[in-house]
Amino acid sequence: MDFDYILRALPDLLRGAQTTIAVSTLAIFFSLCVGVIGSTIRSSGFKPASYLVTAYVEFIRGTPYLVQIFFIFYGFPAIGLKLSVFWSGVAALSIWASAFHIENIRAGLASVPTGVNDASGSLGLGRLHHALFVVLPIALRSALPSMMNTIVSTVKNSAYLQAIGLVELTFVAVERVAYDFRVIEMFASICAIYLMCVFTVSGLGSVLQRRLDRPYGGR
Amino acid sequence: MTDVNSGPYVQLSGVNKWFGSLHVLNDVSVSVSEGEKIVVCGPSGSGKSTMIRCINRLEKHQTGEIQVNGIELNDNRKNISRVRQQVGMVFQNFNLYPHLTILENCTIAPRWVKGIERKEAEELAMRYLERVRIPEKANFYPSQLSGGQQQRVAIARSLCMNPKVMLFDEPTSALDPELVREVLDTMAQLAADGMTMICVTHEMGFARQVADRVVFMDEGKIVEIAPPNKFFDTPEEERTRKFLRQILH
Repeated sequence: MDFDYILRALPDLLRGAQTTIAVSTLAIFFSLCVGVIGSTIRSSGFKPASYLVTAYVEFIRGTPYLVQIFFIFYGFPAIGLKLSVFWSGVAALSIWASAFHIENIRAGLASVPTGVNDASGSLGLGRLHHALFVVLPIALRSALPSMMNTIVSTVKNSAYLQAIGLVELTFVAVERVAYDFRVIEMFASICAIYLMCVFTVSGLGSVLQRRLDRPYGGR
Repeated sequence: MTDVNSGPYVQLSGVNKWFGSLHVLNDVSVSVSEGEKIVVCGPSGSGKSTMIRCINRLEKHQTGEIQVNGIELNDNRKNISRVRQQVGMVFQNFNLYPHLTILENCTIAPRWVKGIERKEAEELAMRYLERVRIPEKANFYPSQLSGGQQQRVAIARSLCMNPKVMLFDEPTSALDPELVREVLDTMAQLAADGMTMICVTHEMGFARQVADRVVFMDEGKIVEIAPPNKFFDTPEEERTRKFLRQILH
């Protein structure tokens, strides 16, 4: 393994990593927002909207992710929605992850005991305060493990976006391999960088999980 | 029966409610004056819980009228919110917030409903936790407390909102037998302090000791209302006598 070569490639790799992190962070943020809204709609009694959300989830889960990316990158301009490569990537990744978060958060909401609704009702606590201070922390505790799976997959699945020409980490590595044939050096390096990103995210997740478990006898 | 000066504090007149085709409240009328203690009993499915859950609109009645301190309960959200601030409720399964400490359970409503400062809300909460004799558990979580302790916290949590009426929905039914006493003592103390109370309970000793009137319900109807002595010793209705034979062995 040629460490000098890795060192020389590092600035390029870090620029790629920057894009990977930017695209993933935005996608995680948007998908969590859509997840909260979608799962709330799905848990609400309003049938037509709930069916629409279910259809969305089933469509995303039932089609290949790469096809979804192409669909958005080539399909959106056809309906007059022109996005840059970067924002097409954010859109594709967000749309994919949202479907999973809707299911993750819905499972969390189902774990909230109905008695707390009565408690908040009888105390006169408003809907917003009840949602924010009661439902959210209780639901998050049981939804977090599966949400973390989706979040980690969001980071890793950003690699697919090289297919539409987004210059992220994997794109940089593949391109350098095409010029210099340093296959081991490049793929070992990007694996290390992906692992660092994923460990950071899952570390934050464990800290949050420990905090949420504390009232239930967790340490 | 009611004090002419104050008038009834809680009044139900001709209240009806159906769950689908099931007539759960059948023309229920009862009025409770300030400071009065009412015990509601009856077989399961007789509509006792549904009736008291209508008083703070956790359940919606369909016809008839419910007034609390002159405020009529209807779809008006402002009215509902005003009534809920005056009516406290304690549940069979405690319904504490599992993710919050005992102190946070008690301060959440004063802080976010009444806008009381955190520090002041905590002092208020500690006063009521002392009153239910459990101040040392303030920083524990509900899962670390026994059922009886949790129910006393639930009482304190309600009292923090300074309610004028307290509703109890079978507050001792989910407790181990040896923990029933501490909760009943807390309720009796509250009664002695002059709180208006409506209690759904099968604790007939408590009814005799504390109640001004006992309401007996069956199949959604109020069968009999009488002071405890008369209710237990010389009930008028055959259905009441049958029920008392069942539960008093």
